Amino acid sequence: MARSYTTCGILALAGWLIAASALAESTQDDTKSSQLSKHRFSAVLESEAAYGIARDRANKMEMVLDPQWEYRWSDETRITGIARLYTEGFDHLEPGRLSQGEVSPNSRRLQLGDRTDIELREFYLRTRLWGMHLTLGKQQVVWGKADGLKLLDVVNPQNFREFILDNFDDSRIPLWTVNAEMPIGGGNLQLLWIPDRTYHRLPQADATFAFSSPLIVPQAPPGIAVNLRPLERPNNIVMDSDIGMRFSTFWHGWDLTLNYLYHFADFPVLFQSVFLAPGGATVTVNPRYERNHLIGGSFSNAFGNLTVRGEAIYNTDQFVLTMNRRDGDGVIKSGEIAYVLGLDWSGIQDTLLSVQLFQSWLLHPGDGMVRDPLDTTTTVLLRRHFLNETLETEVLWLQGVNQGDGLVRPKVSYELRDNLKIWTGFDLFYGDRKGLFGQFDRNDRLVIGMEMGI
Amino acid sequence: MRSHMQNLFIGLFLLIPLSAADVAAESLPAGEEIARRINVRDEGEVVSRFITMAMTDRSGTERVRETKSLRKYFGKEKRTIIFYLSPSNIKDTAFLTYDYPEADRDDDQWLYLPAARKVRRISASDRGDYFLGTDFTYEDIRKETKVGIEDYSWKTLGEETIDGHRCFLVEEIPVNDKTAKELGYSKVQSWIDTEIWMVRQAKYWDVAGNPLKTLQVREITLIQNIWTAHQLSVENHKTGHKTVFTFKDVNYGQSVKDEMFTEDALRRGY
Repeated sequence: MARSYTTCGILALAGWLIAASALAESTQDDTKSSQLSKHRFSAVLESEAAYGIARDRANKMEMVLDPQWEYRWSDETRITGIARLYTEGFDHLEPGRLSQGEVSPNSRRLQLGDRTDIELREFYLRTRLWGMHLTLGKQQVVWGKADGLKLLDVVNPQNFREFILDNFDDSRIPLWTVNAEMPIGGGNLQLLWIPDRTYHRLPQADATFAFSSPLIVPQAPPGIAVNLRPLERPNNIVMDSDIGMRFSTFWHGWDLTLNYLYHFADFPVLFQSVFLAPGGATVTVNPRYERNHLIGGSFSNAFGNLTVRGEAIYNTDQFVLTMNRRDGDGVIKSGEIAYVLGLDWSGIQDTLLSVQLFQSWLLHPGDGMVRDPLDTTTTVLLRRHFLNETLETEVLWLQGVNQGDGLVRPKVSYELRDNLKIWTGFDLFYGDRKGLFGQFDRNDRLVIGMEMGI
Repeated sequence: MRSHMQNLFIGLFLLIPLSAADVAAESLPAGEEIARRINVRDEGEVVSRFITMAMTDRSGTERVRETKSLRKYFGKEKRTIIFYLSPSNIKDTAFLTYDYPEADRDDDQWLYLPAARKVRRISASDRGDYFLGTDFTYEDIRKETKVGIEDYSWKTLGEETIDGHRCFLVEEIPVNDKTAKELGYSKVQSWIDTEIWMVRQAKYWDVAGNPLKTLQVREITLIQNIWTAHQLSVENHKTGHKTVFTFKDVNYGQSVKDEMFTEDALRRGY
């Protein structure tokens, strides 16, 4: 009962934030006076529609309202709340009512029918105490220097309802976290305690961006029944919480971090067992979250027109599916070393050319693994601004080297008014249907959208 | 018929103004000296202020950003941080720069983009790029009302009056093509107040030698005994775009912690 009261309270707070956003216009003048008032309301309304080219049908018509409220007690203490009202016209991205099994009870969304949700996105107190910066509450913690793909940015789980097409800020799932930062040794030490046991939200089988690649989903041979068991969630708020730390410093022009995260990996491991019966074989799949130690670091520096940045990590416990029928549980456990190296070149005015190389190397590969021991992905981003940054054009290209698949995203956006931006673009997948990107080869789409600040 | 003596007097009379002008030019301070005087002008160890950035395009459409800016000297190194407060769709964007006194050391710059929630390191040679849609370059933002002495050769052209204030007119030519390309200027002319050593007006030419933009510095008043400009306006003659920075609540006495000028402070916001 106590838990349901907490959940109701959290959702009531989200509802209040959304209602209060209606008053944002009347309080806007306070902000415009440039004097920071104690209360600040603002909101962003975003709408995006997508038309599936290959399927010849519209597959997205969403509206997202993010009201934000902030109350400042002093320069060093403030409380921030961000809610989200989300409605989707076609119900193709997250069809029907969601089970929300991956989400801890106090982080779940309130579903108003199949197509509308209310969520408390963030709600935290930020203050300074005993020389520390404390951020207490539901929040996003972002690590790393990479764009487009994630190595260190794994503190918060992600909603994959649009694979990786959604903005990370939108797809990242905020967690109830104790976040303490303190200056130490010429740098900054961040300590995290995350009792919120919420993990990646994966699309259902009938969703537009449901996973089908054998890299992610085990493939049962024809004629074999599959029995999917309920998800096993960690259930102890203390013993099953995540902890992390990051030390960051600026040393001779280099931005450096050292990171450590002891966490449950946000993808469930799909352990499999085969039962032979007179009526035929059955594969039972037991999805379970597994612990991992992540040790890593990042760096960046600028040399003339060139900015160099990178991340490297070591994961102690990665689980990879195997097709080896003699394997006991259908997965192979291995350590993993992964890195990303990025170069940003800005030798032409208002233009950015960014290239990245991602590589993941499994230290203990096994027979029949669905992925190669060394997996490589490259990205290229070309962006140019025009008309005092009111017009932005960009092309992002991600290429999976091992599978020969990829994603190309040309986009044009224009700031029509002070607080109104519109955009259009394409999301074009290509390659083998077994690949991470190629599995969505029939999901190419034309996107149009608008964002309005209130 | 004039005598030789009369011709001599006439000749001497004609020479007098020329000699006076030469003497006057020689008595003007050298360009480098004026630049040095600009840069030694007291601008406070610390300053805190709100800046309204109003940008207007050729058609008259206006965009307004409210920001909070803090600047602090660490010895001779100047650190500046700017937090965007509104409008809501770009709120929390933040920019940090370390401006080093050594001529051969690139400045360090960071930009926090709330859409990605990540701090991006920016190349220091982007200094000729325009700062977040304004008509000020990153270099202009870093220098504020100071100048890059080492980037230009300086020449005093004369004296003129701007808004009733006596000013030295100085011409600045980038020291080489590379610097000109980095800055985006082939020539600058500045009108510097002879009393308070602050630029009151400046004209810029692009690298092709065409008129580029004009800066006007207005509403200069004494705050806590420091001369302070409250309005900087730039008009770009090529695009018709105009930017006006209006400064409010300027405070040179506020205590600002060193840790406000870090990458983590960018992320935490204001």
